Amino acid sequence: MTHEERPTRPTRRTKAQAKKEKRQQVLERETERLMSGRYSRQRPRRVLAVVGLSFLGLLWVDAAVSWILAPSNTAMITNFVVLGILLVIGLPLAGQLVAVTRGMTFKDESELDEWELTGRSRAFTTAHRCTTIMMILVLLVTTAVDRDGEASQIPGAALFLILFALLITHFLLPLVVATWQIPDPPAEEDEFMDADTVDAR
Amino acid sequence: MPGGARSAGGAQGKNEGHVHNRIPMLRAERGVSRRDLATALGVHYQTIGYLERGEYSPSLHLALRIAAYFEVPVEVIFSLEPFPRIGSTS
Repeated sequence: MTHEERPTRPTRRTKAQAKKEKRQQVLERETERLMSGRYSRQRPRRVLAVVGLSFLGLLWVDAAVSWILAPSNTAMITNFVVLGILLVIGLPLAGQLVAVTRGMTFKDESELDEWELTGRSRAFTTAHRCTTIMMILVLLVTTAVDRDGEASQIPGAALFLILFALLITHFLLPLVVATWQIPDPPAEEDEFMDADTVDAR
Repeated sequence: MPGGARSAGGAQGKNEGHVHNRIPMLRAERGVSRRDLATALGVHYQTIGYLERGEYSPSLHLALRIAAYFEVPVEVIFSLEPFPRIGSTS
């Protein structure tokens, strides 16, 4: 058997590529389903974006509760409840946001066309402005409160949760903004418009 | 042609930066679906829809590729002025 005749074994790279393509096909199907149905109009998409934003807000509420109440059982319970809600409802919600935006905020640049790149750039610009303002606010608030050095008034748990909320907001806000900004998909009725259809008009 | 449909100078007028196109007409004439055109150009089929709706102005590269696909000069497909209606004298 010559080298050319030998069957090629799938390498780790080709396996990963096949897996990625499969994931993209699933995402594409989900996008089609959502964008041709429930989220074909702007209002439901914006409601979805607001819900996504509320979930991000929940992280900040959790941090604030920890700041005020920690260390205490109430703070700990609130923390676990919020994290539980985020895992159970937040993850599927994030999946919907990704599907509605065709995953434009997560895909590699090479996988996006120029319209998607423009949309992504707009979303990142807006989200970046928002997170910059948030970081400035966090810096100002923590600096104003945390004046006593080692006798700091900010509990360690709250500080961790603030940083965690900041990280998640930084990571997911472009997705929320992209959902808010994405225009209505083109109408399906002229999707496969052919010459006969147009002549008849 | 700018990469985005948005005009950089918003105060310069509503139609500033807007590029009119005849993609739907050419596509209908040749019996090409959005998906076929999108596959040939390597873009998402909805991007073709946004182009047709005038919500997005293509880059020069994409405009030239669209023109090459339909085998017509780029100015046949894209114009800064609205295209005259078929049958009109102008």
